[in-house]
Amino acid sequence: MATLQLRQVVKEFDATRVIHGVDLAVADGEFVVFVGPSGCGKSTLLRMICGLEHVTSGDIMIDGAKVNHVSAADRGLAMVFQSYALYPHMTVRQNMSFGLENIGTARAEIESKVSAAAKLLRLDTLLDRRPTQLSGGQRQRVAIGRAIVREPRIFLFDEPLSNLDAELRVSMRSEITSLHERLKATMVYVTHDQVEAMTMADKIVVLRAGRVEQVGAPLDLYNKPADKFVAGFIGSPQMNFVPVSVASVDGDDICLRLPGGGTVVVSRPGAAVTPGTALVLGVRPEHLRVTEGGPGTMPMRVEQVEHLGAHSLLYGLVADVDGARATAHVEGQTAVRAGAAVAVALPPAACHLFAADEVGLAI
Amino acid sequence: MLDFLTRTRGRRRLDWTDWLTFGYLAFGLVLMFGPVLWLVLSSFKTEGALTEFPPSLLPTGPRLVAVAGEDKPKPLYRVTMPDGTVRELAELSRIGLMANMADPAKPEEIVRVPVDKREPVREFGLATENYTDLGGKFEFGTYLWNSVFITVIATLITLLFNSMAAFALSKYRFSGSKVVFLLILSTLMVPPTIVLVPNFLVVSELGLLNSLWGVIWPAVATPTGVFLLRQYMLTLPDELLEAARMDHASEWRIYWRIVLPLTAPALAVLAIFSVMWRWNDFLWPLVVLSRSEKFTLQLALNAFQGDLVTQWNYLLAMTVLTLLPITVVFAFLQKYITQGIASAGVK
Repeated sequence: MATLQLRQVVKEFDATRVIHGVDLAVADGEFVVFVGPSGCGKSTLLRMICGLEHVTSGDIMIDGAKVNHVSAADRGLAMVFQSYALYPHMTVRQNMSFGLENIGTARAEIESKVSAAAKLLRLDTLLDRRPTQLSGGQRQRVAIGRAIVREPRIFLFDEPLSNLDAELRVSMRSEITSLHERLKATMVYVTHDQVEAMTMADKIVVLRAGRVEQVGAPLDLYNKPADKFVAGFIGSPQMNFVPVSVASVDGDDICLRLPGGGTVVVSRPGAAVTPGTALVLGVRPEHLRVTEGGPGTMPMRVEQVEHLGAHSLLYGLVADVDGARATAHVEGQTAVRAGAAVAVALPPAACHLFAADEVGLAI
Repeated sequence: MLDFLTRTRGRRRLDWTDWLTFGYLAFGLVLMFGPVLWLVLSSFKTEGALTEFPPSLLPTGPRLVAVAGEDKPKPLYRVTMPDGTVRELAELSRIGLMANMADPAKPEEIVRVPVDKREPVREFGLATENYTDLGGKFEFGTYLWNSVFITVIATLITLLFNSMAAFALSKYRFSGSKVVFLLILSTLMVPPTIVLVPNFLVVSELGLLNSLWGVIWPAVATPTGVFLLRQYMLTLPDELLEAARMDHASEWRIYWRIVLPLTAPALAVLAIFSVMWRWNDFLWPLVVLSRSEKFTLQLALNAFQGDLVTQWNYLLAMTVLTLLPITVVFAFLQKYITQGIASAGVK
């Protein structure tokens, strides 16, 4: 049970800076998810926390104590690797007890801890098998079991579900979440899958190119993305982005000209915009409404329709402006066919505005 | 198996390519196994049968019969008498082209026979004393022990040292690791005969001449072994080592408990090579060991060929015994050997 703090953490590989001064605080018992596209440095950050990579500059503190020069073994952390990294020549039992043997735990104690962890993860019947005789989900549980028996202060997960098939991923997701409920341990979880981040996290850290873009609770990130990157990364299908220009400014209200000639008025107190400024308007597919047309709408030519039963997705081109693609999420089963011309309405409250530098104009 | 061996190209009759293939294979078989077979058969021949001309393939020799009044059994011959009858007589002595012969039943009646008028009576017989005598007459046991000791100990040390070097070179990132690796590999380019004299001087200074350790130590650090093991260890995922490190394993424990067991296939290959190298090694033991009680089997075989007399029957028996272990190793572990040749390009 521990807190974790990163202060201006920087990592360079041969003069290439991959982590640019990350600040972060993780509270005791919190489930934090690092999410970002591949190559954003999230795994490197995790490896620095667990001590497998050196920190170029900055501090990593566990329970308030600086651990920069403490070895990986002595930080009291446990890591679940993407490839599970189970020892292939050892049985499940040996895999789980290896760490305890190394610190000289008594035989009987090892036995009781391993069987307790095995029971928790429903591995009791598999203890004498080797990793090659297990399914992906079972291997995953052994890797978690190996972490649990050592009673670490913080659990670290490095994309643990990426090698599983979609169905198993969903069930392992809820298993890890319920494990967190039971153990009440601090956990740091790395993934590139925003769905995992949204469903599991207490707090999401969105990373891009070695920088923290935004930190917050899943719904805060969904509702108030700080910039266009976070807005696009969180949420599936992706948020729609359409180029707009400011038609007029009336106090806090900004009137925006949409592609196709329509206008929409959104309220942004204190936004420094003048008529003629080019902005990007973001709106989530689930907030677009397919209508007959009218003042606050954009024309959309539907190119493809996906029928998912409970809802349908319409993909199309807005006002025939190249680069202005939009996706509309329609509840139920739509009668709209590919090739149809429809209009989509943008509810002003659901609109996000981003300046040219991609930074969001706060609501 | 039989189906496989008798597979042909022609459906019903033998195609001409079948004749060619089987002919070629049979030729190769005779060429490669003929000498070995002849060696094994000859090792069961008596000394007399070995020096016979023309030589025979099977271990046959003249039939010996006891003749009253003579100490030793005498060889039996089928003699064509001047009157055309054929008698079986034993040779008592031979002077020039004439032999004094006698019927074993009537030894007192001596018959003088020209040697071209007789044929030896031959019989099949295994001269197993070639083998059974080895233990007592010669220090075969000592030679065998020396060879086994050198082979086993040198192989164990080779595996330990080479795997430690390979572990460091494959799993640690340190400046100069590439240089060290290249230096080790570059020693492959130096022929062993070139370093024979310097090695000898070092071993001599260390007082290891005429000691089995003098044969073992210079041989245990092999660049081939380091290369083979390093290439294999590179394929072990680093995450395993990192997981072990997180599991509080010391570096030695990582090496001993994680890396070594997982390198087992490559270790097996190197072990086989090392056994073959050490067992067949001749030049270096010849240089280091000069006292006969320290001889390995290979040296003993060499020493058996005297300047004036060579006891071929014993030499051949000993050669067969020397070949056996390697043959067994090859027969049972050939899968690993081909694997090793494929992975490291060594023979």
